[in-house]
Amino acid sequence: MATGLTEFLDNFVKNHDNRQLLAFPLAILAVSLIILLVSFSSSGSPVTLGMEFQGGTQISVETINSPAALKEAYSSYHIIDARQAGSRIIMDFGVMDNEKQRQLEKNVMSRYSNVEISQIGPVYGQSLQIQALKALIISFIGMSIVVFLLFRSPVPSFAVILSAFSDIAIALGFMKIAGVELSLGTLAALLMLIGYSVDSDILLTNRVLKRRGTVEEKVSRAIQTGVTMTSTALVALAIMYLVSTYLYLIIPSFTQIPLLSQISIVLIAGLFADIMNTWLLNTGILRWYVLKPEFGGRYNR
Amino acid sequence: MNNAKNLLRNPRIIIFILAILGAIFAIHPGYTSEGTTSHLHYGLDLEGGSWLQLKLEGTLAQIDADPGKIVIALVEPAIGSPINITNNNLLGGGSDNKYITFTTSAPINASQIEGLGLGGSVSVDKPSRDSTQVTIASTSKEFLIRTYLAKSLDTEVVQTSNKDVLGYEIKKSVSEKDLEVLMEKVGGFIVKNQDGTSTYKEGVSTQTRDLTRDILDDKLNAFGLKDIPVRTVGEDYIQIDFAGIDLATAKEIVDKQGKFEIRIQTTGNETQHVVNGDSIEDVRIISYHDNQWHVPFTLSEAGARALQKTALETGAVDHPEEHHLNMYLDQVKIYGAPLNPDAASRLRETPIYSWEASTGTGDGAKKEAKALEVHLRAGALPVNVKLESSGHVDAGLGAQFKTEAMIAGLISLVAVALVVYFRYKRPEILIPMVGTSISEIIMILGVAALIKWQLDLASIAGIIASIGTGIDHLIIITDEVLYEGTIPSTKNAFSSRIGKAFVIIIGAASTNIIAMSPLVVMGFGTLKGFAITTIIGVFIGVIVARPVYGVVIKELLEAKGEIEKRVEVAKGNEGLAD
Repeated sequence: MATGLTEFLDNFVKNHDNRQLLAFPLAILAVSLIILLVSFSSSGSPVTLGMEFQGGTQISVETINSPAALKEAYSSYHIIDARQAGSRIIMDFGVMDNEKQRQLEKNVMSRYSNVEISQIGPVYGQSLQIQALKALIISFIGMSIVVFLLFRSPVPSFAVILSAFSDIAIALGFMKIAGVELSLGTLAALLMLIGYSVDSDILLTNRVLKRRGTVEEKVSRAIQTGVTMTSTALVALAIMYLVSTYLYLIIPSFTQIPLLSQISIVLIAGLFADIMNTWLLNTGILRWYVLKPEFGGRYNR
Repeated sequence: MNNAKNLLRNPRIIIFILAILGAIFAIHPGYTSEGTTSHLHYGLDLEGGSWLQLKLEGTLAQIDADPGKIVIALVEPAIGSPINITNNNLLGGGSDNKYITFTTSAPINASQIEGLGLGGSVSVDKPSRDSTQVTIASTSKEFLIRTYLAKSLDTEVVQTSNKDVLGYEIKKSVSEKDLEVLMEKVGGFIVKNQDGTSTYKEGVSTQTRDLTRDILDDKLNAFGLKDIPVRTVGEDYIQIDFAGIDLATAKEIVDKQGKFEIRIQTTGNETQHVVNGDSIEDVRIISYHDNQWHVPFTLSEAGARALQKTALETGAVDHPEEHHLNMYLDQVKIYGAPLNPDAASRLRETPIYSWEASTGTGDGAKKEAKALEVHLRAGALPVNVKLESSGHVDAGLGAQFKTEAMIAGLISLVAVALVVYFRYKRPEILIPMVGTSISEIIMILGVAALIKWQLDLASIAGIIASIGTGIDHLIIITDEVLYEGTIPSTKNAFSSRIGKAFVIIIGAASTNIIAMSPLVVMGFGTLKGFAITTIIGVFIGVIVARPVYGVVIKELLEAKGEIEKRVEVAKGNEGLAD
């Protein structure tokens, strides 16, 4: 995969001008932003908020019954949703009082095996929402500062930061479309993406600005290294996703691990976006910048 | 051979080998007939069990008010007639020689006012026939504000001092609006910070939080169950982890109060019941006076009478030394001492409400007093707690998660190795690369074992993610070494190339660490594990493992003739030799 992709990207970058390179990633970014905006104006949040950010109780049990049957059985407990997750069923409940909560927990634990319960108070959930937003913003600003300190040059730094921003926006858009909720796990994935996605951008910018050689040569070598990097990460994550999501189909005694499944799928989406953003968006801006006549070919020899 | 010897003299490699050995020692892998063992700690989601996170409800604020208006607000309803403040030196605050005087037309006596708790001493004069003058001394503005808040909100209020700023801790949750309205009635307000923000804050003081934690700890671990860790999370939360205990049982344990009992010695080792814990109305913070540490507590009306009655019956009032008062928590004796002779003789006349249990002098006695204070509360917490979040994972499910997460980690590593192999097609690159990656995992686990970090699912995701970043950085080093030969370079071209690779790696690593750090600082529960393992992974990688990879790959490639020892002017893109 790495070699084929490397050649494809290398040729694509060589055969298109900067404007053409920017068009495709910017279009995808725009689509993602529109998705997030539409969701925000209709539901008040750009992505679907998971139970942890809304408050409520999530219970998952191992059962051969259908989700509909469980939804019926627990209808007196303010059940919101019941869905299949491998050999398990995940049920979401709204906020209830302590007494009712206990009844429900006892009932579930006496009937089913391999129970997992997590409950979050609505006030706490609200405060987690604010904290999550803060964490994302602080993380992003921190990353931007490091990038500026590294390159001390506005346009190349901006290109890296724009590309990281686009990675996050596309990953969020993917979550909305694919129905992945924002949970603590996916929040961790998004933060990870902020740190992780700039790796290849830093590689590219560093090579182009601080090495000798023609721009074309430097870019194409950066593509070779960078795509290998991203593909090892993608492979590791793909395995994590497959094992945590589908291994139970092969080995029936296993089960889905939602946390790992969510973290990996969001990172996978983000890294695919990163390949595009680094080698088209960031490369396009950087190539335009270093070949500006005022530098007199300083970066191109 | 020469190369191998040189390698072993390199300090980086020595540090690396020591770090690996240290990590293996810290992990302490072992094998018994029951399976593998190690010093690694697993989180509840892998081990099975439940956890509760409790929020402590309280209010903190700096408050100012008019002491005269507070006295009016508290005295007028009590005596049912208006009063007139005639003299008052409390406005400036402080507590030296402070007093307040008021007059009223109603006939009142000193004990009526004393009962209101406005100050240390009350004197009542009758300057004229239809006027009573009352002077309250040994008081202060702060004291009056505290009394006013405590009475109006029906809760305990204490003064706190943080960086020399006096504030009040109300042991109940009160909204900012309600508190403002309450203070407006006495010409008061919530003080603003210098930057204009309010000093009002929901939450409790560190002392209260720690006391609550200690009481919970005392109560949970006094039942002879397993060791249940109770820890504070952030400023206002307490988290309790119940390994191997289901959620329903966990909640029952937390709700259950300890059974506290005071008994009195009759003859020999025989004792007789005096009162139960429900007769103890109030336990206050330990104090030091008369060369002794004391735990002050108050008995209820019935409790005080019961104690007087048994003391008279058993003869403890006459021979206190022979009739110790003993305290028990869940039938275990936690304290025993004779009645104080003064108290014994006063008991003959009247019941005593306010008691102090003394534990002696010195640090040991202070500790004992603290423990006794916690025991006396018998599980009654100083503030209300609210269940904010909870969770439960069956042990069987946790075991499945653990196995699967490990399988995911292993297969990921193999898959990454395959990608690397297809890219470079050279075992002399593949083996050091995968070896470095594995060594990084061992070191992360070693650190986790050392700091007793609980590895949960999120941490394992963090480790898998750092395999990814780790390999990325090794690829950067390798490519620099192999392909950057077009640059005409002088001596030590190799080192400078590794140096260049490290500029990129350190840049990338710093963004990783910076991006993760909000999770460590902000209290996100499970995410903290993810962030900490990722950060540890990045640190270990950049400082210990990756420089060694650079050195090793150089030696191996030189030995193979893939690169020359010194490159004067190199040509071509691929391998430099031949």
